[in-house]
Amino acid sequence: MMIHIKMIGNYRDHLPPASKNGMIEIEVPDGTTVHDAISRFGIPLDDSSVIVLNGLTVDMNTPLQEGDVVTAFSAIAGG
Amino acid sequence: MYIFEGKASEPVYLWVNEDQVEVRSAAHVWGKEVPETTDILKVETHPEARVACIGPAGENLALMAAIMNDKNRAAARSGVGAVMGSKNLKAVVAMGNKNPPLFNPDAMRDISVDTSKNVGVDIKKGSNLRIYGTAYVPQVTNTLGILPTRNFLQGTFEHADKVDGVALKEQYLIKNVPCYRCPISCGRLTEVPDGPYKGKGEGPEYETISSLGTGCGVSNLAALTKANYLCNEYGMDTITTGMTIAAAMEMYEKGYISEDVIGMPLRFGDHDAMIAMIHKMARREGFGNDLAEGSYRLCEKYGHPEIAVTARKQEFPGYDPRGSQGMGLLYATSNKGASHMEGDVAYEEVFGVPVKENPLTTEGKPELVKHFEDSFALIDSSGLCVFLAIRYVFSKERMVWPVRLADMMNLTTGAGYTPEEVLKAAERVYNLERMFLIKAGSGPEHDTLPHRMLHEPLPDGPAKGKVVELDKMLPEFYKLRGWDEKGYPTKEKLEELGLPVS
Repeated sequence: MMIHIKMIGNYRDHLPPASKNGMIEIEVPDGTTVHDAISRFGIPLDDSSVIVLNGLTVDMNTPLQEGDVVTAFSAIAGG
Repeated sequence: MYIFEGKASEPVYLWVNEDQVEVRSAAHVWGKEVPETTDILKVETHPEARVACIGPAGENLALMAAIMNDKNRAAARSGVGAVMGSKNLKAVVAMGNKNPPLFNPDAMRDISVDTSKNVGVDIKKGSNLRIYGTAYVPQVTNTLGILPTRNFLQGTFEHADKVDGVALKEQYLIKNVPCYRCPISCGRLTEVPDGPYKGKGEGPEYETISSLGTGCGVSNLAALTKANYLCNEYGMDTITTGMTIAAAMEMYEKGYISEDVIGMPLRFGDHDAMIAMIHKMARREGFGNDLAEGSYRLCEKYGHPEIAVTARKQEFPGYDPRGSQGMGLLYATSNKGASHMEGDVAYEEVFGVPVKENPLTTEGKPELVKHFEDSFALIDSSGLCVFLAIRYVFSKERMVWPVRLADMMNLTTGAGYTPEEVLKAAERVYNLERMFLIKAGSGPEHDTLPHRMLHEPLPDGPAKGKVVELDKMLPEFYKLRGWDEKGYPTKEKLEELGLPVS
């Protein structure tokens, strides 16, 4: 299935060159979770990382559906 | 601390040079904009003096007038610039090198070095505030569906990519501008090099983007940046300026104000009309005289108060509370009217700092809002920046605890405060302000939100269908505050805080 990954701010640097405006569409197998999807990009996730599914706060083990948008950003150092 | 009472018969400024204080004529700078005023006053006092002044907006008593510091930094909200203007006080100019002694300078240096080290470690990981300034935030709030768009008619903006920190960095950023000795350096010196919006100055920051940009449906970054420069030069709060124009745009589009009254069409997205309105507001020219009263009075005058998105008659900042419920309770109870800076629970609901809260729920929000309001009163009272304070001098738990802040206050003063005591002092600040408001006629009946937030569900984005569920939060908030069910501080609470009972 196809899903979208959106990275904000400094996390954009971890997206491949094919991305546009911090966003890329990728194919993932059924059963892929939010955590699985975001882990593909080598982002240094830590306690400052915020990951949302379709803009909503969810469990990182939530399985993805076709067309979902997973967004990640970091509010480290300040706010 | 200086207290200005009454009104000077002629325009004046105050010159504070070390221990010497002098009131001087400001007749020659009255009417001048902020940058020119600042330059002139430095020439006639001291080249290293710092200037806090008002521009034409403050002189003309525009209710969104700010006090501008070092040309580009604004004490923006609540119309404090108009208060200076009403006193004929153009500026306060200060110069001094005599630092007050610290109680324990060695330990204070150690704790400062350690704090800086912690900040440095995080910056190395990649700080968006440092790389993009607060302008990185539109992408965050747009993702959550809480980016104020077209006077809060929507929570997402289709052109957010055109007005965010990445676009600003690529197109107009010259360099970062830090406050004194700040390791983050989130300020932006920018320049629009040519064209109709040519100019140079600081900004735009997030709150300017969400008001003069998305709030007005404007996606032209050069025009938005120019609008920011103009607000700085006239001395105006960009939030209230932008959201007042946004309210006027909505009234124009709905046919409640005619083109004849405004003097031109005023559609959402029309950046040239927006810029024209800023000039008129600052000078109180024509329709600008209505705009200079802010959106509440503007919308009331033209028969549609429901269009004003305000609390205690002050315009909302850049977080739509329908998708950030704690912010809704904050706007309704902030002593400054709608303001994020009086207890910014968006740190947790939006940014996950230090702990991520679900922004769409109301459970637990009253205690979080109360705690953040008190904590922000503490940060303000100690003179710290919230960006640094919330992460580095409080504990990293949901109910942030001022452990390191109390240490710093003790090393400065030798007072021996516990964290509980400094937070209790902050609660006293909050309640004292509350009592002042009640006496000034802005009591609990104003602990509410505008029609749009309570009755018009968000039409788009992740928070689609939501309104602010204020009635689920406010009674519990009053209880946690130790107030009666109507929202008045009780005799017991005032006595506990050492405040006069009257």
